[in-house]
Amino acid sequence: MNPRQPAPRVMNGTAPESPIESAQTVLQIEDLQTHFFTPVGVVRAVDGVSYALKSGETLGVVGESGCGKSVSALSILRLVANPPGRIVGGAIRFEGRNLLEFSEPEMERIRGNDISMIFQEPMTSLNPLYTCGKQIAEAVALHQGLSKRDSWDRAVEMLRSVSIPEPERRAHAYPHQLSGGMRQRVMIAMALSCNPKVLIADEPTTALDVTIQAQILDLMRALQDKYGTAIILITHDMGVVAENADRVVVMYAGRKVEEANAAELFDNPGHPYTKGLLGSIPHLDTAARTDTKRAKLNEIKGMVPSLFNLPQGCSFAPRCGLASDHCRNHKPPLEEQRPGHWIACWHADRVLGGVAVGAA
Amino acid sequence: MTALLEVEGLKKHFPIHKGVFSKVSGQVYAVDGVSFSIGRGETLGLVGESGCGKSTVGRTLLKLLEPTDGTIKVGGEDITGLGAQAMLPYRRRMQMIYQDPYASLNPRMTAGEIVGEPLIVHNIGTPAERRERVAGLFERAGLRPEAANSYPHEFSGGQRQRIGIARALALNPELIVGDEPVSALDVSIQAQIINLLMELQDEFQLSYLFVAHDLAVVEHISHRVAVMYLGRIVEMTDKRSLFEMPLHPYTEALLSAVPIPKSSARGRKRVILTGDVPSPINPPPGCHFHARCPYAMPRCKTDVPALREVIPGHFASCHLHDGGVKVPLGAAA
Repeated sequence: MNPRQPAPRVMNGTAPESPIESAQTVLQIEDLQTHFFTPVGVVRAVDGVSYALKSGETLGVVGESGCGKSVSALSILRLVANPPGRIVGGAIRFEGRNLLEFSEPEMERIRGNDISMIFQEPMTSLNPLYTCGKQIAEAVALHQGLSKRDSWDRAVEMLRSVSIPEPERRAHAYPHQLSGGMRQRVMIAMALSCNPKVLIADEPTTALDVTIQAQILDLMRALQDKYGTAIILITHDMGVVAENADRVVVMYAGRKVEEANAAELFDNPGHPYTKGLLGSIPHLDTAARTDTKRAKLNEIKGMVPSLFNLPQGCSFAPRCGLASDHCRNHKPPLEEQRPGHWIACWHADRVLGGVAVGAA
Repeated sequence: MTALLEVEGLKKHFPIHKGVFSKVSGQVYAVDGVSFSIGRGETLGLVGESGCGKSTVGRTLLKLLEPTDGTIKVGGEDITGLGAQAMLPYRRRMQMIYQDPYASLNPRMTAGEIVGEPLIVHNIGTPAERRERVAGLFERAGLRPEAANSYPHEFSGGQRQRIGIARALALNPELIVGDEPVSALDVSIQAQIINLLMELQDEFQLSYLFVAHDLAVVEHISHRVAVMYLGRIVEMTDKRSLFEMPLHPYTEALLSAVPIPKSSARGRKRVILTGDVPSPINPPPGCHFHARCPYAMPRCKTDVPALREVIPGHFASCHLHDGGVKVPLGAAA
């Protein structure tokens, strides 16, 4: 198994120039294609996705299960299991160098050091046989070449920086002895222990209760301000994105369908899917005020299409109220409809103009 | 609205066994004195964080778990002490929808058999009538009739939840307990199921106990909401009062912790609680919330605050309101 991937640049003319100046860009994903080769067919989990990340910013990547948001993130660290998965095209540029051309030992120096990751379920990502302190110290010793003693001290210091009470004592604790919120703090401490330039957070708070979620997101923001880490925040929770991301990428069926500043995206969603998604979430404030007649939520009819046989044209067409024959036959290109606001929809101008996105 | 369900002082403690002789070494106070009622056609939302006992309340009142103490009345009749046989007629009136449609459907039965099984158990109708009823239930729950011959693994999560709903409806129940019925679903599917549940409620005058951790969903579907913390209800009122005037510091923190999907939500001031929910094995004395409460007073550490009607229809258990209603909570005394 050769971990090195050829990196043909398949520019299909639809991948946009990044709206971000490359001078500040730490990580740039260009036309990434990650496919899974299964006995029953090829799953195009990520099918030509591009996005860029500036230092110090938080990029939200949202979408429903199976849209490819996690696979695109795992591809950045080349952690997609091969077989069945393979990165078949595109480039991942970290500080100008294409990670897809790196050898495995070179990649190991990047993982956890320059780019690190937090996963959804800390219990499955922490080793149950080692104490939390040892697991953090191991990463520090490996990447920063610190002595045993110094790396342990660094681990304790990191545990303190993520607000774990009594870090000297907790460093000796095993993962099962900690609560879910504490474990997620340990994961964050470990991920940040080598001062990474990029932190990929894959549903970091989904398994946590809301009050703990608020604590963890608060902590991530504080650490970002302190260290200037760029964060890719992958989540299905539009509320978490609205309150934490600077820019947002919306994914659907393996593709990016919309990208904009967070404020622009939430105020003027330009893709029927984004608009439908925002309309289908109950809002706490409005939900509370509809006490006489409970409003019906806007549904998006049907469900996410199977990645084995995606529709020929726009993947969202079967569920879209605006879909025309043109949509069903031709994939819409991603175009900059407003400054910094990219939308892949033939009817983007109508959606931006406020047309109702009714059910199909 | 007449009360369909009345729960009074409900307790469920789980013994902790230790050692060779399984000596009882302690108790998990999962539900520790909970009282509420649900009217016909009403939805009571039950929210709280993991481990607060909200699911145990749902299971105990359907007598899937034997209550340790307290009474449960359905339509005015006490069902607390009834055995399995005597419970049977009441089971028809109370059904449950579970969180995980993967785990709650028998993988060896077809969808049609799953939905029709309650009719067989309760000896209702002839086979032909049952088939007809199942077809009707499928249609009502938004499933295609030919899906009756498919097995659970052939359905998506949202469709599986529809099967669970069709099965719960089979016996024309009066009360349905939903234990996180939409938490496992994607948001676009979640909206479909919430809408279906609300339509069915209006159509059949169903009463719901809707157990969930997502406050926005609970506020949307409920008429009244009860907030639980560590085995007790700390606040209960209509959803609007709960949102606009929370009387318990925990409710206040919970509401402010929910992220809002709007651009204006950024940089919003919020109450961030410190620490975790304490263990229900050795809950703290006095008010269970005092260790995390920003307004804790000395007496909160020793005196358990009673759930009382602070404002008509608005129940809260907090010492802040002992000398009269205090709103907002943060205002200096």
